[in-house]
Amino acid sequence: MSIELGEVFLYRNIYRVYGAVMHATVFAALGEPRRLEIVELLRHRPFAVGDIAETLGLRQPQVSKHLKVLRDAGVVDVEPVEQRRIYYLAPPAFEELGDWVESFEVLWEQRLDSLGDVLAAMQAAREDAPATTDDEEGST
Amino acid sequence: MILKLFRSTQEHRFERTYAAPIADVWRAWTQPELLRQWWGPEHTSIPECEVDLRVGGRIRIIMEAGEGMGKYAGTRWPLEGTFTCVEEPDRLAYEATSWTEGEEGATIGHVNEVELTAQGEHTVVNLRIHVREIGSGVKARLAAYGMKWGYDAQLDKLDTLLSSPRTET
Repeated sequence: MSIELGEVFLYRNIYRVYGAVMHATVFAALGEPRRLEIVELLRHRPFAVGDIAETLGLRQPQVSKHLKVLRDAGVVDVEPVEQRRIYYLAPPAFEELGDWVESFEVLWEQRLDSLGDVLAAMQAAREDAPATTDDEEGST
Repeated sequence: MILKLFRSTQEHRFERTYAAPIADVWRAWTQPELLRQWWGPEHTSIPECEVDLRVGGRIRIIMEAGEGMGKYAGTRWPLEGTFTCVEEPDRLAYEATSWTEGEEGATIGHVNEVELTAQGEHTVVNLRIHVREIGSGVKARLAAYGMKWGYDAQLDKLDTLLSSPRTET
């Protein structure tokens, strides 16, 4: 039976949706407009610090600071190429974010399935009950 | 264009058709004892469920992980919000925040709109969830959400996921 696997998947999903711990730093890192611009730039291709600064019209030390935050959050990674440090987007962070978004959907799909079960049960209860006091629902 | 994606409203839409009268669906969404029956996935319980069904009234649902959830057992995921629209029997909306108890830094702010449409014996449920803020304090906003487009491997899947409302019967 694959139930267990399915359940593990589900728990992980729930945890991802509501316990987005690991993402908190990512979200914070991306919350800053300049950093977001850097990330957007890096979507096209890897860049060296100096090129980022020049392209975005920022001072290099400022860019370095932002890159450090992004790197600490796992959003970007760096690779030294000759004398330059080349920054690029780090796939795992994006995959996690993608999973996170997806898990939100999964949770709601399941919830809506359960809603269907509850509605069916309400219907069944009504059909089973003698059809005498049909109008007395809604009293809680 | 990319900037536009990042800033665009991020929302999830769900559409379901149930073989139930609209009044039942309305009750299932608004009566705590019914709501708690479907809100939590397997192995979770809803120890607290409060619905003050009026505009400005409070909705508060606490989901708790049960024994079956292993190391997550006992984890509590509260949702707390305010109704912004209560129009029986077909429109319901609330603004809320969800978080994991003890991890308030990753609070999610969302707006939820439920629209019910009677179709003969059936009821169509349209649910729209707009996540407008992630993380408390820092307005991490939706940048994060837009990120999913930033990575090619995810692009197609997620695009489909978010742009096409699903119809299931």
